[in-house]
Amino acid sequence: MTMFLMILTISVFCFALACVAFGADSREQDVRVARPVARPSMNLQLTQSGFFAEAANTPLAASAQPPVPLEVLLSQIDRHVRLEQAAAESFLDAPTSASLHSRTTSPLVH
Amino acid sequence: MNASQVDLVKDLTEAEANELLALGTRSTIASGAELFPLGAEATSLFVIERGRIALTLPLHVQGRDEDIMVEERLPGQTVGWSALIPPHRFTLKATSPLETEVLAIPRQALAGHFAKHPRVGYIVTHNLASVVGQRLQVFQAMWLREMQRIIELRAL
Repeated sequence: MTMFLMILTISVFCFALACVAFGADSREQDVRVARPVARPSMNLQLTQSGFFAEAANTPLAASAQPPVPLEVLLSQIDRHVRLEQAAAESFLDAPTSASLHSRTTSPLVH
Repeated sequence: MNASQVDLVKDLTEAEANELLALGTRSTIASGAELFPLGAEATSLFVIERGRIALTLPLHVQGRDEDIMVEERLPGQTVGWSALIPPHRFTLKATSPLETEVLAIPRQALAGHFAKHPRVGYIVTHNLASVVGQRLQVFQAMWLREMQRIIELRAL
C-alpha cells in the first residue's frame, strides 16, 4: 500500500510538472506568433499594389521634366573637354595614378 | 610672326625655316568659317599666324549632330597634319571661332622641298612626331579617365 501511494504521489507530481512545462511552452509560442516584426505588414502590401502603375508612369514623368537647353549642354560639354584635357596634360607632366584619376569640377561627371 | 615661334620649323636654321615657310600662301578665315571639313582630302597643312582654330568632331546631342571641340590651336601651332600622313584625309573639322590668319603650305610643295633638303624633312618630321605623340598621350589619358568613370558607374 505504501509503495502504491508513493508511486501515485510521484505520478501526480510528474503530471503536474508536465502540465506546467506544456503551459509555459504554449505561452512562448503565442508570444512569437504575436510579434509583428516577423509578419509582413498590411501597409507594405498596400503601398506596393501600385508598383506597376508607378513603373509605367515613370518615363512619362521623366519626359515631363524640362530638358537641359541645348546651349547649356553644349557649353557643359565644351567645359568638360577643356577640363579633361588640362587634367590629362597635368598627368603627362607628373605621371602618377593619382594624377591620372584626379577629379575635375566638370558638371558632366557630378 | 617670327619663324622661331612656329612649332613645325623648330630646330631649323632661320634660313631653312624662312625657305620652308615661303612655300605657303597666307589667307584669312572669317570668324565662324570653316578651314577644312571632316573627311576631305588633305592637300595642305596650315600654320596659324593669328587668331585661333577649333578642331571639332560630330557628337549626337539631343537628337542632332553637334560639332564638339576636341582641341584648340593657337598662333605658332600647325593644323592639318593629315597632309603629311597617308591616307591624306582630314580626321577632324577645323573652324575659326574668330577671324584667323593661316599660312597654307601645299603637300606637293612640301614633299618636293623635303626631297631636295632631307635634313629639313627629317627635322620637320621629327617636330611633327613630337606634337602628334603628345596629342596621342593626352587622348590616351583622357580615354582612360572615361574608362575609369564607366567602371565606377557600373559598380554602383
